[in-house]
Amino acid sequence: MRYFDSFVVPFAVGALILFAVVLWKYANWFIAMPRADKKRVARGIFSRRTAEAVGEVISESLLHRRIFRVNPLLGYMHASLAFGWFLLIAVGWIEAAAYGLTFSPLWVHVFFRWFGAHYGLEHAAVWGIDFAFVMDLLLLFVLSGVALAWAKRMRSKMMGMRKTTRHTPGDRIALSALWFIFPARLVAESLTAAIYDNGGFLTGSLGNGLLRLLGPEVTVSAEPVAWWLYSSVLCIFFVAMPFSRYMHIFTEIPLIFLRRYGITSSEKESSFDHFQVEACSRCGICIDPCQLQSQAGYDRVQSVYFLRDRRYGMLTESVAENCLMCGRCQNLCPVGIDLNTLRLNSRDTLRNTPNERRYEYLRGIDPSHGAGKVGYFAGCMTLLTPRTLQAMERIFSAAGEAVWWADREGGVCCGRPLKLAGETDSARRMMEHNTALFRKHGITTLVTSCPICLKVFKEDYDLPGIEILHHSEYLRRLLDEGRIGVEHGAESFTYHDPCELGRKGGIYEPPREVIRSVGELVEPAQTRENALCCGSSVANLAIDDRNQEKIAVAVAGHLEATGADAIVTACPLCKKAVSRGSTRPVYDLSEIVAGHLKESAPADTPQA
Amino acid sequence: MSKKVIIVGGGAAGMKCASTLRTQGVEVLLVERDRTLGGKLNGWHKLFPTLTPAGEVLDALKREVAASGAEVMTGTEVERIAANGVTVNGGRELKADAVVVCSGFDLFDARIKEEYGYGIYDNVYTTVDIERMLNEGRVALADGSAPRRIAFLHCVGSRDEKVGQRHCSRVCCITGVKQAMEMKELFPQAEVYNFYMDIRMFGPGYEEMYREAQQKYNVNFIRGRISEASPTFDGRLQIKAEDTLVGRPLKMSVDMLVLIVGMRPGCSNGRFACTEGVNLAPNGFVSPLNPFAGNVRSGAASIFYAGTVTAPKNIGESMNEGVAAAMSVVEYLNAR
Repeated sequence: MRYFDSFVVPFAVGALILFAVVLWKYANWFIAMPRADKKRVARGIFSRRTAEAVGEVISESLLHRRIFRVNPLLGYMHASLAFGWFLLIAVGWIEAAAYGLTFSPLWVHVFFRWFGAHYGLEHAAVWGIDFAFVMDLLLLFVLSGVALAWAKRMRSKMMGMRKTTRHTPGDRIALSALWFIFPARLVAESLTAAIYDNGGFLTGSLGNGLLRLLGPEVTVSAEPVAWWLYSSVLCIFFVAMPFSRYMHIFTEIPLIFLRRYGITSSEKESSFDHFQVEACSRCGICIDPCQLQSQAGYDRVQSVYFLRDRRYGMLTESVAENCLMCGRCQNLCPVGIDLNTLRLNSRDTLRNTPNERRYEYLRGIDPSHGAGKVGYFAGCMTLLTPRTLQAMERIFSAAGEAVWWADREGGVCCGRPLKLAGETDSARRMMEHNTALFRKHGITTLVTSCPICLKVFKEDYDLPGIEILHHSEYLRRLLDEGRIGVEHGAESFTYHDPCELGRKGGIYEPPREVIRSVGELVEPAQTRENALCCGSSVANLAIDDRNQEKIAVAVAGHLEATGADAIVTACPLCKKAVSRGSTRPVYDLSEIVAGHLKESAPADTPQA
Repeated sequence: MSKKVIIVGGGAAGMKCASTLRTQGVEVLLVERDRTLGGKLNGWHKLFPTLTPAGEVLDALKREVAASGAEVMTGTEVERIAANGVTVNGGRELKADAVVVCSGFDLFDARIKEEYGYGIYDNVYTTVDIERMLNEGRVALADGSAPRRIAFLHCVGSRDEKVGQRHCSRVCCITGVKQAMEMKELFPQAEVYNFYMDIRMFGPGYEEMYREAQQKYNVNFIRGRISEASPTFDGRLQIKAEDTLVGRPLKMSVDMLVLIVGMRPGCSNGRFACTEGVNLAPNGFVSPLNPFAGNVRSGAASIFYAGTVTAPKNIGESMNEGVAAAMSVVEYLNAR
């Protein structure tokens, strides 16, 4: 072979194993994907979506803009390693090409500094670029990232991370190999530069230094050792890559494409999930926002550990079930992994054991009463917070709305708590029951004061011709249309965003507008997308009550720190949870509206 | 020179402690937040298990205090306690050689259990409301009529993790039994149901009273908590519960729902715990030095406890602790 030296063997073997394993995995995952998903790929591949995916790959897989948003220094650290390395490879290839070695073996590009020197290659100057300088600059860029990564191990706070991931032994090996790749490369290239005088500002000067320090004999004999070392660390890293956290480097790319083609995870596990699970880099950005970690001291259940356990087949119920599914981590995940859905379908796998007879009683149940185009579904939690129910009744009557009360006298659960518990088939039974009920009574609008019910109505119910509204949206509409009139008071309110309504439902403005119509709104420090979870989420099946209370106390303290007279929320569960920790009154949105209703609605007064 | 002791709180324990200390020749200042002495006893009608009128016990205590010559300061709230005295509202500091904390308990606010509709629907009462109505001599529904079916619900704000009250308040079981019997006396035709988790009849004569309620008064006891109450169209209350002995859910319409509210730690406990040696137990009550020989002593040598400031107790136990605390104070003062 023309361009060869024995030291390239570890590198070549490592790279071969890497690509074989990665391709084998992708092929298997793709083949196992449902037909519908494959059709989506076929439809999307020659569309604008492919171009969009390429754009996203550049901005996210190479640069990782989302990490910059978490912390600029952390973003730089990652970009210098990921983008820097990519540039080293790309420019290295261009350099080899500039010497006329476009189609030479891979190792010639990678170890070009060695091949160029040892084979005495003639530079066929391309655009007058000083490649030695550019390559040294890029190496310095990468090395700065390595230095930061070392510093981060010692003081993660510097990069805005209170806690970082506890890694498995495999990850530690891969991580150490990664850290040694670039220093090894620096030393190897410097020694070659010292002997052949082909270095740039970095390798050249370090090479001269080493030459002076070691003397010519030692330098010459150290050079092949250094290249062997560099090639060997690369080999270790490549072999470890598909089995460690570094699988994310490649996996994020197919994930971005598949996601752009409209493939999503669902309540049942599917082969697409592998792309999401293995795209997790275990960066640990999900740990800090988790209130289970910061308030309750559960530090082995966060998304990073959940995905790791799931990937290696070690997932236990205690990890899968100990999650509020508040979505705070998902909001920050740099890879944009659909963490909640993956947690959900893991629960389905672990727990979905439908009992056909258990739900026989559903047949024929219809305790609803009243008649009207507007249906009101209180949900279990609103039935347990009857002030909300009472307030809604007053508001409906003030607006002159004819209402069909779906479940005031007791009804069937919306199904979301069971779904979140992983009992998806049982949940389906309840959904079907309620769907039939809603259709039977001919409503055109369905109002609920519970964001948990709202979420499942929108997501899982098939209700054509029925508009689904949260009561905050409905109240805003009544106010906008002048169907109810309210007095603006002097009280100040702070608003707690329920997770199911805000982060998971995208409804932020309507409740705020309603609050502003009756008083002053004071925003807490953590609000909207970053709002805290009340801690009593029905999604957590493992948390104990004391820890729920700890979270509630912290959240209440955070809301009280605004100095507002009262706390307002728009979820009966949040209301109950926050009141456990609060010294100020906690109201549902409907209560403050009902409390500020004008004696007679404008609709009743004669129009001039 | 005689020694001086400040007693924080003029309820059963504080009053008993004051008169006992006086018999030992100690100067006493009894500081009470309300305008009158007596604490919660002022609100009770008849006391279990003997149905002794609360006024009898209270009057005897008041006479003892008056006769003892203890100085009484009512309408004064203690802000802070210290090893050598207390600070009362307004910032005035009162010096003493020892302090006995008898600040008692607070009642659980039944509005927190919103699902029972207290303060939302008519005819949902607490046991405290019933005592008040008994004292006023008129127990009736909101429309003035007599109830035909009454449900008592035990453990409202006791042994309930959902509201952060994990402890047993002890005296509510027998209170519920007593009031159920009183309701049967007042309304012999009415059906009376008690919904309970466990019936804990810890005191002398309590178990006998519980049996009497079932056998003589025909009070029904159903093991199971009520999950929620809601108004019905005809102005009654519908309750949902589970009869856990039969293993079946049940619904029932009643005219009156009585919530047997528990005890929660006094609101001043948190303030007092800022003092060196005064510590709170996880349930929020003040934690005595140890639960055996040191159950009226704190971590500070000159600060003592008596009554429900440390845990739920009945009146007799609280008074006994008043005596015990007084004797510990004397022991401490003599040893100085």
